Amino acid sequence: MPVIEAHNLSKRFGQRLAVDGLSLDVEEGEVLGFLGPNGAGKTTTIRLLSGIIGPSSGSAVVAGLYPDREPEKLHEVIGLLTESAGFYDRLTARRNLEYFAGFYTGLQVDSQVEKYLKLTGLWERQRDRVGTFSKGMKQRLALARALLHEPRVLFLDEPTAGLDPEAAQEVRQMIKRLGSEGRTIFLSTHNLAEAEYLCRRIAIIRTRLLALDTPGDLRQRLFRRRVVVRLEAVPAALPDIVRRLGFVTGIMQEGNELQVDLTDPDRNRPELVKGIVEAGGRVLEVSEKQHSLEEVYLSLMKEER
Amino acid sequence: MSYRRLRNIVLKEWQVVFTDANSALIVTLLPLLIVGQGLLYIWLAYRFGGEDLISSGLIQNALRNLMQAIPSVAELGSQDQLRVLLLSQFSFFLLLVPTMVAISFATFSIVEEKLSGSLEPLLATPVRTGELLLGKALSGSALALIATWLCAGVFVGATVAMGWGGLLHLVLGPAWFISLFLITPAIVVLSFLLGVIGSSRASDAKSAQNGAVLVVLPVFALIAVQVTGVVWFGPLGAAGLALGIAALDVFLLRVAVRLFRRESVVVNWH
Repeated sequence: MPVIEAHNLSKRFGQRLAVDGLSLDVEEGEVLGFLGPNGAGKTTTIRLLSGIIGPSSGSAVVAGLYPDREPEKLHEVIGLLTESAGFYDRLTARRNLEYFAGFYTGLQVDSQVEKYLKLTGLWERQRDRVGTFSKGMKQRLALARALLHEPRVLFLDEPTAGLDPEAAQEVRQMIKRLGSEGRTIFLSTHNLAEAEYLCRRIAIIRTRLLALDTPGDLRQRLFRRRVVVRLEAVPAALPDIVRRLGFVTGIMQEGNELQVDLTDPDRNRPELVKGIVEAGGRVLEVSEKQHSLEEVYLSLMKEER
Repeated sequence: MSYRRLRNIVLKEWQVVFTDANSALIVTLLPLLIVGQGLLYIWLAYRFGGEDLISSGLIQNALRNLMQAIPSVAELGSQDQLRVLLLSQFSFFLLLVPTMVAISFATFSIVEEKLSGSLEPLLATPVRTGELLLGKALSGSALALIATWLCAGVFVGATVAMGWGGLLHLVLGPAWFISLFLITPAIVVLSFLLGVIGSSRASDAKSAQNGAVLVVLPVFALIAVQVTGVVWFGPLGAAGLALGIAALDVFLLRVAVRLFRRESVVVNWH
């Protein structure tokens, strides 16, 4: 059952259309990657779904609540990690968390603050002022803040932006763990590898939704499956012989590799190998070309232009 | 409105103010400087103004107003009449304390939130924007009121120390108490709201204060019109002034609440 539903959601700021007719569902326990270039409407979408701003048209339901009509109720059950960590630098890490925790109904502030300071590895630094923290530590603290009230749904806006590789990896591990705990996570990111690592499905947005699917299905939808045959050497006549095979729709040579498009890759692959061997080719490896998510993304962006 | 949330906001605001040297000094030292300065002006005017000052048309006009408001002043010698006149201005001069403290507090509090980026995560908690605005207003107002009332105590103590204590019963009349307990809270709210409005568009506390501090000018004008005898604020006049400021507060509250909506804060406050 979807825990996040957007129906034709649009947001206009003056003349500028920031989000255009967005419709999507996110299932309970799913980690959804939300990709798009700068200014594509990712942060605006998160703000719409988390009840920070209201839509110009369309509607959304998150955890059974309408974000624009009952934001305070919604905020009891969602967690939001904003682009900037947003802490009071002169207060300690613990005091910062206690302050934010103080707004939730029926929350055991002390035990929850302790739990998440420990979980984010900041327990030893709880009495230090946040102003002395590195960006990575602040981001982990922000994640702790978003989790204090055990939200059903987490909105994460660029959680690893600007972090060094080690800090980014730590944050990614935490998100992975949260996903495996069964929380629904809406993850906005620029980092395609991160999206692929963390998310079951990917939504690509550029003001309007361009695609929403699993990375594998997106690849399949945008690119034909291509078989890559690595040979010891490519005899001069071999490409023409292969091209004449009835099930081959295209061929490209790159050094000792032949990249071959087939009518039905699963059925035709053994026949292709047989044909190559019979033509004198010595096959070292047969594989399928994997298009990266980056290629998928760039292809969609190119189409959109 | 939740008492627990308001308390949470007030305690955090005080903690943030008193962990910053500049803002802590504004709340503690600035009021004392204002009182000290006011007392110094009164003493200088009395010490060096002498008979020339008393015989000036401006002071004569003000003294006539004073004697109409408090007839027993007419029974005093001219020097004591001048002292009572000068000391009577102090209740208006004291209004600078809540004005400066409330504006500084509001601008500091909101610009600090803007600079640290803490407003958006704050607005993602179940806190209502009204609670946030009220919590900030309460924390700033309480400090401004406490500072003003303490300064009033310092004024009374200093007056006694200067040997003018015998005149206090003429100075601390109904108008003084109306100023302290009606005009001062109304001015606190006015200054705080102007601070919020100024901060909504400003990117640093100084530029926010520049706009909001314009409220100081009418306070100076109040002192000027009373000293020059144009208007004398007796108990009724002071109560009317408090009502007028309260009406302005209601209007500014609407503007501030409008500016302090979630969407407005997140989208327009840069």
